[in-house]
Amino acid sequence: MSDSLASGVPCEVASTTMLNPMDLTGQTVLVTGASSGIGRETARLISRLGARTVLVGRDEERLAETMRSLDGDGHKAAPFDLSLTDDIPSWLKTISASSGPLHGLVHSAGIHKLRPLRILSSQTLEDVMRINVGAAIGLAKGFSQKGVCAPGGSIVFLSSVAGLRGQAGTAAYAASKGAIVSLTRVLAVELAAAHIRVNCVAPGVVTTEMGLGLLGMLTTEQGAALEAMHLLGLGTPRDVSYAIAFLLAETARWITGTVLIVDGGYTAH
Amino acid sequence: MEKNEFLLLLDELLELEPGTVKGSESLDSFSGWNSLGIISFIALVDEHFGINLQPRHIAGCSTVEDLVELLGNRIGVKSRTGSVSGSVDVR
Repeated sequence: MSDSLASGVPCEVASTTMLNPMDLTGQTVLVTGASSGIGRETARLISRLGARTVLVGRDEERLAETMRSLDGDGHKAAPFDLSLTDDIPSWLKTISASSGPLHGLVHSAGIHKLRPLRILSSQTLEDVMRINVGAAIGLAKGFSQKGVCAPGGSIVFLSSVAGLRGQAGTAAYAASKGAIVSLTRVLAVELAAAHIRVNCVAPGVVTTEMGLGLLGMLTTEQGAALEAMHLLGLGTPRDVSYAIAFLLAETARWITGTVLIVDGGYTAH
Repeated sequence: MEKNEFLLLLDELLELEPGTVKGSESLDSFSGWNSLGIISFIALVDEHFGINLQPRHIAGCSTVEDLVELLGNRIGVKSRTGSVSGSVDVR
């Protein structure tokens, strides 16, 4: 006889359904940078968690490739040039008009240019800041419009450990990713009244096209040193997408204004 | 781009007075030609020529003239080894 029966306290009836606190069934999530890397993998993962996705990128063919790898149906591709930051809010209105209110937004699109200070041009700085930060602000502005965002919406930005630790040659990129941390905190406060949570993920070096391109610009010794800083090795897009899905889902319902570091131990030094 | 313009970019990259780099110098003779200098050169080539060089492409260069040759006809100099397209990735 079980203890509870012996003590007269009724047993809880065991649920026959498995609890998945990261279930995203019935939610629509817009993912920028969905044509490759972390954005593509995030779209794949959250589709497996039940979400419908709106895939944003410039290359229609690559978006179609992402689309073919998704689970479930109801997904849409929405090609758009995010450098047109002023047009983002009205564009998001048209997106939500056709897809329904958005429950989540992931800004994974980004530019990384390795540019030591001595050759960093104002144009490069502007290009990086426009996509990495300007588009993030445009997306938040658009997402928070009435009718665009469903109640309890979640925004997830992509920062980087580059925004938290110094790494030679990354001035523009690091400045943009540090700005994302600040932006996350400000918008978490500003949008809390609208019941929108705002968080960011700060990955270490991940084996995406962008990450491998960065490593390709380093000497063998520099690359090995950078890799060694990642105590658990370099990350994969899936490693980061898990953190993004966590922040989108019910699992993060009491989390806003946070920087979730996913770096294989890079910042533990 | 003309060779002179390219040499002026190298002056800037190596933090030298304009007109310092002539072409025949050994790269090791420049204090600015260190690991950060090499990354800067790779970034400079990306910025001005849209070419993705990798350190291994530069490993065989010991003089400024070798760098000029690496970029071949992109800076108005006919390469002795022909087109650089086989040794660098063009975006």
